[in-house]
Amino acid sequence: MSHAKYSVINTHVHNIDGVAKVTGRATYTFDVKLPGMLHGKILRSPHPHAKIINIDTTRAMDLPGVKIVVTGKDTLGIKQGIWRRYEELCDEQVLPLEKVRYIGEPVAAVAAITEEIAEAALDLIDVEYEVLPAVYEPLEAIKKEAPTIHEGVERNVNVTRHIEWGDVDEAFEEADYIREDWFKCSGQAHMCMETRAAVSNFTPEGKLTCWASTQSAYYTQGLLAGVLGLREGDVRVLAPYVGGGFGGKFELDAAMFCSAVMSMKLFKPVKVVFTREEDFIASKRRTPMFYYVRTGVKKDGTFCARESRMFSNGGAYTGMGATALYLSGFFHSFPYKWRGYRYDGYRVYTNTLPSTSMRGFGAPQAMFCSEQQIDWICADLGLDPFEVRRKNGHTEGYEVPGQAFIASCGLEQCINEIEKWVKSKGKLPANRGIGISSCGFMSGGIFNWFDSPYSFSSAVVTINVDGTVELHVGCQDIGQGSNTTMAIIAAETLGVKVEDIRVHSGDTAHCPADLGAWGSRQTLMAGNAVKMACEDAKKQLLEFAYAEMGINIVYDLDIKDRWVHIVARPERGMKYEDLVKKALRAKDGQRIMGRGYYTPHRKGMISPAYSYMMQAVDAEIDPETGRIKIHEVMTAHDCGQPINQLGLIGQLEGAASMALGYAYLEDMPMEDGKLMNPNLVDYKVIRAPEMPEAGIIEIDTYEPEGPYGAKEAGEGLTNPTAAALGNAVYHAMGIQMKELPITPERILKALREKKEQEAQK
Amino acid sequence: MINDFHYLKPASVKEALAMYAEHDDCKVICGGQSLLIVMRQGMVAPEYLLDIKGLKELNYIRFDEKDGLRIGATTTHREIEKSDVIGKRYPVLVAMEEKLASIQTRNWGTIGGNLAHADPAGDPGPVLIALKAEIKFGSSNGEKTVPLDEFFVDYFETQMEHGDLVLEVHIPTPAPKFGCAYQKFNLLDSEMGIVAAAASVTLNADGTCADARVVLGNAGPTPLRVTKIEDLLKGKKLDDKLFAEAGKIASEEAQPVADIHASEEHRRHVLGVLTKRMLKKAFEQAQKA
Repeated sequence: MSHAKYSVINTHVHNIDGVAKVTGRATYTFDVKLPGMLHGKILRSPHPHAKIINIDTTRAMDLPGVKIVVTGKDTLGIKQGIWRRYEELCDEQVLPLEKVRYIGEPVAAVAAITEEIAEAALDLIDVEYEVLPAVYEPLEAIKKEAPTIHEGVERNVNVTRHIEWGDVDEAFEEADYIREDWFKCSGQAHMCMETRAAVSNFTPEGKLTCWASTQSAYYTQGLLAGVLGLREGDVRVLAPYVGGGFGGKFELDAAMFCSAVMSMKLFKPVKVVFTREEDFIASKRRTPMFYYVRTGVKKDGTFCARESRMFSNGGAYTGMGATALYLSGFFHSFPYKWRGYRYDGYRVYTNTLPSTSMRGFGAPQAMFCSEQQIDWICADLGLDPFEVRRKNGHTEGYEVPGQAFIASCGLEQCINEIEKWVKSKGKLPANRGIGISSCGFMSGGIFNWFDSPYSFSSAVVTINVDGTVELHVGCQDIGQGSNTTMAIIAAETLGVKVEDIRVHSGDTAHCPADLGAWGSRQTLMAGNAVKMACEDAKKQLLEFAYAEMGINIVYDLDIKDRWVHIVARPERGMKYEDLVKKALRAKDGQRIMGRGYYTPHRKGMISPAYSYMMQAVDAEIDPETGRIKIHEVMTAHDCGQPINQLGLIGQLEGAASMALGYAYLEDMPMEDGKLMNPNLVDYKVIRAPEMPEAGIIEIDTYEPEGPYGAKEAGEGLTNPTAAALGNAVYHAMGIQMKELPITPERILKALREKKEQEAQK
Repeated sequence: MINDFHYLKPASVKEALAMYAEHDDCKVICGGQSLLIVMRQGMVAPEYLLDIKGLKELNYIRFDEKDGLRIGATTTHREIEKSDVIGKRYPVLVAMEEKLASIQTRNWGTIGGNLAHADPAGDPGPVLIALKAEIKFGSSNGEKTVPLDEFFVDYFETQMEHGDLVLEVHIPTPAPKFGCAYQKFNLLDSEMGIVAAAASVTLNADGTCADARVVLGNAGPTPLRVTKIEDLLKGKKLDDKLFAEAGKIASEEAQPVADIHASEEHRRHVLGVLTKRMLKKAFEQAQKA
């Protein structure tokens, strides 16, 4: 597609809220201060599994400055979950009545006049527990003799998912070579810059206003209303600025719930902000997964069949785990054509911090296993890993049987570009290797587990007398820049400039409902709604333009850069501002208003569109210490039509740092259910000095379902990296890394084993 | 959360020492890069904080060919890192500082505070001991100067008593044929070392080893000087075989403690590798000097 035809799309647009953020004027939930506001703190369970026998709050209540102490008994006791269509998956009481199931689970909350007093009061709450036997690993928890974590849930199996197409057994029979491997993928903390936070204000009118650090103001509204026994319309959720989400902030959290419960009892605003430690131990995490992968191929590298079984550590509650279970299995097949594919996923409850969605939604784990095994198969058979991926890769028009239709696909170009890049590097020095990995990702999910009757995305656009534009969207900016993306799409569609658009988001009272920021959905879904709303408004404007300019109706009119003109004779036209004024008069003073919405239809089971990519990681290993040095990351990426070049670079670099962290640094080790590194000294995230160069090669495709041809760009980029690093280590040292993260100790162990094996030969 | 405390701000070293002597439950803060962390965690909750950040008297870097290098206690890591004379005469100190935490920490944290905190994983300790540094501290009752390797007593414990402030670090002028190298092993370039090794080598005119030091970081309760290696190397013509042997000794002599970041076995192994490499590096520098 030619980029030249666009005035705003695919240019370098700085985030429209960037100045407010760097000058400290952006009001995050953390910054909200209300008159008479109280500060809340949460008492958390020290036990991984225990019955709550009694909670005595007397001593805490006697502490001067304490206004209230609440426990599960002060709530409606509703078991909630974001899969609210499915009762059995709503399994979490934020303040539990009967028992606690992980260390860090809330048991009581306090509100006091200062944060210090609230914290001191926690020590004065006397909880009597009966400690129960606990289990921490899924492969243990699934055993018959394991303790029961949720009554009535046999063998602690929370959810299972089966995905299958083709005749798998027959396809395996056609294979010349079959390889089986077990993998272990770790958890990962979301590590948002802003910890979970909420300020709730319930007033005597019976209305609740809640400022929340959320990925979806609409979900928070619905979930809060559900657990508090209020009407959705009586709950207003505000999230003007959110300091990161990464998949961890669209469920109901204890900050939202406890602040709201206490505010409803006191008719006073209550603020709860998690400490960094609380965020680590009690805000859910990326799902740890055990993968068994069996793959059959022909001698020439043609993929025949794959059969995989996966056991995930669900932790104590469902969260978004059911979706992660499904998506991991689906993307485990990506981006290849299998004659037969079978996946069985088991999500198992354990007495640990619950796991949930996190950037990549189960796919980074799936790709770590799949893409490494493919390289090993290529080595086993003497095949070229680029050629094998090209041969079996998705192509435009392919249908993943019963699951998905691929309308646009730049995978082959991605592979070609990365192959060129890798070859340009020439022969590498000893102990250095480049690993590749390809994958794809969805552009929003076709899932409605929340059972929303609203469109998935909606937008309302209103044009002021001077031509400035008020754009109301429900999509949530969590730092990823969606407000900027929407402003670009609006400016392009209306034919105005980005600075003409004021985006209103993060307010359920003033913005239309939208499912929010998850599953890479907003650019495509909210983008389509914005485009539709702006087209609606523009059409109304152009009706007046036809009348005003008195031109032959066979001519096409358009607006670009605030100039209303005949498409064939661009010099003939009028100023956009003048047109708006005239239109306003002609409409009896009514402002021009456009409405748009989007809900995917007839797009399969998963997503309306898929991005594709191939990534290469260039890494060097110290053979004596096992230390990894990452030299460079290069990604060829098909996200359809890029909307904002700067936004895209930001997403790519952010994803690379997060995914490299997952690959070789970040881990959440536990001992008897207790997280051993709940702080930023012991939990390792990549910082600026370690961040390697992360380049991007944009592959031009056009996605018919996306606004201006756009697809997802950002979340999917977390998928290939761990596998690419694993493959780099494999090519540098000849060792196969089957466990994440790839640590120096694991590398040295693998090197020792390799030496021993060679010595035996 | 940090508990409330009384804040003391002396105008001179003399006043600081008097204030410190006067208050029993008192902690000294300078950069706060170590203290504030333990205060936030509630592990330390002093009634008084004595802030010596503003004591210009203790902020200096002085070099004299005869006397050597003197660094005042309130000198920041960043000042050491950016000092021309240190870069020229003690490049190992600059290299060490460049990987000490983040620029923000180095801008505020001080050499005196770092040494007084006595974290065995701290970077300056091993390097300064390899450079044969001594440290001066004192109270209102008088001053004392001790070799730095004797200064550290145990985990987070030094020879200093209540009322003592670190005043100065003194490093002798390097011998003509001298080399010193330091490396820490960690996952992120500039974070605290999982383990570390500093080595220095002084050569005689005939190329034999006149003197050597190996100091291990985070391999015991204090920076660990491995005298067994010094005895092994002194008087010998150094080569790879000796460096490997030294590495083996370092692995054996170390007393590392396992945690989530590395097992004891891995720590011992890496200490051996680092010792071997740093000795070789120091040796090559000494040869070129």
